[in-house]
This record gives sequence, C-alpha cells and structure tokens, in this order.
Amino acid sequence: MQLLGTRCSVKTAVGTCALAVSLLVTAGQLAAAPTQAPSSDPDPMGKLAREEMVLDAGASSTLLAQAGETGNALGFPVGVKRIGKHVRDGFEQTEYDEVTELDSKGRVSSITQFDKSGRLRSAIRLDSPPRNVLKVNSAGAIRAAQRSAQTAGLTLGTPSATDVDQATGGWTVHWDRVAGGIRVRGDETRVQVWPDGRIQSVARVEHDLAPEPGQRIDADNAKHAASDNLDRWFAGRNSGYAIQGVALEWVEPNGAFDPMLAAATSVPYRLAWVTEVKPLGDAASAMWLMTLFVDAGDGNIIGGDFVE
Amino acid sequence: MKRASTLLVSIVIAASTLGASVQAAAAYNAHVWSNSDAFAATCLGFTDTYPKQHYSLTVSQFSKLGYSPVSGALGAGFTRSAFLGNVFYDYAVYVHSHGDNYWAASGAPNVDSAFLQDPGTGKCNTSKDMVRSSAIKTATAGTIYNIVIMSTCMLGSSSSTMPNAFQIAKTKTSAEFKFYLGYVKHTWDSSSLRFEKAFWGYMNGGAPHTRWLSEAFTYAASIGGYEAVGTEAFQANWWGNPQYDGTPLQPTLRCPTCNF
Repeated sequence: MQLLGTRCSVKTAVGTCALAVSLLVTAGQLAAAPTQAPSSDPDPMGKLAREEMVLDAGASSTLLAQAGETGNALGFPVGVKRIGKHVRDGFEQTEYDEVTELDSKGRVSSITQFDKSGRLRSAIRLDSPPRNVLKVNSAGAIRAAQRSAQTAGLTLGTPSATDVDQATGGWTVHWDRVAGGIRVRGDETRVQVWPDGRIQSVARVEHDLAPEPGQRIDADNAKHAASDNLDRWFAGRNSGYAIQGVALEWVEPNGAFDPMLAAATSVPYRLAWVTEVKPLGDAASAMWLMTLFVDAGDGNIIGGDFVE
Repeated sequence: MKRASTLLVSIVIAASTLGASVQAAAAYNAHVWSNSDAFAATCLGFTDTYPKQHYSLTVSQFSKLGYSPVSGALGAGFTRSAFLGNVFYDYAVYVHSHGDNYWAASGAPNVDSAFLQDPGTGKCNTSKDMVRSSAIKTATAGTIYNIVIMSTCMLGSSSSTMPNAFQIAKTKTSAEFKFYLGYVKHTWDSSSLRFEKAFWGYMNGGAPHTRWLSEAFTYAASIGGYEAVGTEAFQANWWGNPQYDGTPLQPTLRCPTCNF
C-alpha cells in the first residue's frame, strides 16, 4: 500500500484513505481512458536490449590493463575492482568490450569501452562533478580536453566547437570527424570537461562508410531532387518551405520518411547532399526544421531528420 | 473544480468498486504521450517516423523499470484533457512533442512552458494546442512524481517552468525519489532518440534497479554522436535525485540501493 500514503497526503477532503484512493482511481478512469500500451509490442523499438557478458579474468587481462591505463591517463578515480564484459548493445546496434571500475561500495565509478579493433570507444566517469568551484575558461577546457584525448591515444587538432554544458556546469569540447575532406554527420570525438578542468569523459563516434558513388550529382541537382519531393508533399496543403542550405556529408541512411526503414539494422554511412529545409505555413506550427538526405550518387532520398 | 466534481460524481461507483480500486492502487501508473498527427501526411505530406519510435521505446523501458500499467497514446488520444485527466495518478510521465518556453499570460519576462497536444487526426497543430505548465501544476495538485521526461525542445533549459509543474526543483541534490529529464535547446529527433536509447540501454542494461538515473544520464550525454542544430549544440539536462535507481516508490520510502 505504498501508494496510499503519498496520494492520501494530498487528498484530505475525503473520509478514509482507502476510500479516497478508490475515488481517485475511479475518477481517473472517468476523466479519460487512454489506451493501455500493449504488453507484447511488435515494434522492434520496444524489444531493444543490452546484453552484458562477463569475461573471465584470463580472457580479459589485457582489456583490464588497457582500461586501467586509460582511466589513469584521464585522472579517473581508482576503484577496488575491475570487471571485463562483452556488450551486445541492441540500442546502439553494435558490440564492444567494456570494463567497469567498481568503488569500495561496489558501485560502478567509471566505464571504459573498446571497439572490435581494440580502439578506445569511450571512457566515462559516473560520479558527480564538483559544484561551486572556480570554473576553468573555454581555453582551459580545450587544453584539458586536448591533453586528455592525446593521453588516451587520440590525435586531435583544433576543436570544431566548445560549448558550455548546462548539466554539469563544465564544457563539451568536440571535433567533427572528416573523411576525405567531407564531414561525417554525427561522428565526432567528444570530451566533456568538468567545471574544475577534470575530465568526465572521452568518446569517439566513428561509423563505417560505404564506397563513394562512381558519379556524384551536384548541389543544384540535389536541390531539385529535394524540391521535387517537397513540392509533392506540400501540394494542396497550407504549407510551404524554404531551402536554407545544401551541404555534402556522409550520413546514416534512416527511416525518417519511411516506416519500413525505421529501426533497421545499422548500415554504413553514405555520401549525401544534406538539404536543410525550413517549413512554412501550417507545417511550421510544429515542425521547426527538417533535413532531407539526398543520395549523392542517384539523387534518391535516403533519410532525414527533424526538429519538432 | 473539475476534479472535485468528477470525484463527487464518482462516489457511487467508487463505493461499489472499493475492493477493486484498492487493489488497483498498488499499481504505479505511467503515461507515455507522443504527438504524431502534427508530423503526419495531413500537415507535411509525409509521415515523420520518429514519434512512434520514441513512444515505443519509452513504453517498453518504463515497463522494465516496474511502472505498470503503462498507458498513454501515440497520436489522437494524446489530448490536453486526457493528459490533465490522468497525470495526477501517474508516477512516471513521458511526452514527445513540440515544446517551448512561452511567455506566461502575465507577459514577459514570465515564462509558462508548454508542449503541444496531438492536434487530432487530419489536423495540424496551432497555438491552441498548448498544454501549459501552469495547467499541469494545477492538475498535479502537489503530487510527487518519480520520473518525468520531456522529449521536446527547450523544456530542459534553465528557464523551463515544466519541472515545477511536477514538484521537481531545478537542483541536482534532491533527496526525494524524483528525476526530470529534458533537452536544453532545439534538438534533432535523431539526437533525442539516440540519447534516450543510450539512457535506457544503460539504465536497464544491468540487473534491475542497480543503476542510478543520473548515471544513465551521464552515460548517454558522454557517448556523443549528437548533431548540433545550426550553432546550437545538443544538450540534455536533468534535475532531481543523483542517487535514484528509478524504482517506482513512494518518495518517502527508502530504496535499497540509495545511499542516504
């Protein structure tokens, strides 16, 4: 009866507590009757799982040592025990090795992940950042991020951006991934810096790239391909659009416009003209911005994104 | 007043179903709401598939944390009246829609954050679809909430009034079993979905209730792979208890893995 105490404390007008709960539950049923979500959701998004398989000490000795070196280089707290795991991450549709560092209370103090080729994927400390400390400035955060990334084995130049992190009060320093002079959308190296200049995390996001198309359409043709779709979509509606920009990027094909492709298995990124579109009219009331990924080879729409 | 009148109307029914209702009270209600009609063919000429993905993900993950029944709606069932009529009974609440920090009725600089209800089949959103934090504050009537997730733009910013609608102060040191998650600025759907997948993947990836929601947040925020909207970097934010494992509990009860 845990519910009774809480709910009764805010409902004193009705006689007995049990009766009050009865009234409230009944009232809720009368006020609205939304659909109860099905317990066996056929949507693959409802079945995602993260499987963690603990590795035996022998198999994971190198992994544990590698994680220890990384944690030390980043200044992470040293725990009393490390556990090596292999993770099948259905949420990210990938697999990696992970080492968790446990503190004296048995809680995970940090996580270090390595991809299938043994390269650092991420190193994250999970304790809370200090509050009310003298905050390092942007330049200091960049220096700390560069130093930590280098000690973790990552070679980086000038960061693409440095932003204040409202969640920690510190900084996020990141470097866009560029392949053959072309930006890879979403791929990055990211270092989160606590307000006092210590490192919260280093992460490298790098997806496989498909071969470049044999022939590449130009930006004008990509714009035409996007406009053809937009004109068809918005025809007869009180909506319009304005194309704000077109840029060549490597993108993840996705099911943004096609339910059959949503939550599909991860596929290599493809070269596309990313067309940024500002909806106008009725469409703008809820959709703030959208992109269409126009395949740089054949001009087909292979995905997109929305700011709702 | 509406709640009071509804309660009075319910007295006869309540009295006759007392036993069943007390049994139902052992449940820890959660509602997952996702606006899909504003992002469907009527307004856009195509169907944006993200609202369904966010919805399905959250329904399954709330269930894994122990909230039950997990109700709500994807699409037309997500109305202001359904939301406000049910929110009092919830322990966990999730909204995926357009959200912003609008000026309050009293005018600038006062803020009254809001999200948009689903406009209904065949309709597009208008400003009349706003579900304002002030209305939610009234409907929640001081009730405590375990988990509130606003999967919208802006409602995780420091100026958001939405946490207060659920009695969640904008602090990261609460000792009560409360956790609010939102996004600080404009957010691509792919980024919010990636973040929420990582958040739930870590949170529910180990043995049940062995991880803290704040740790899952740190994990999700740290893995990267988030796309900026123009010059606005992706940012999520949270407030509440840093050591809360998500167990649907009466907030005054001690939870086994919480270290108070």
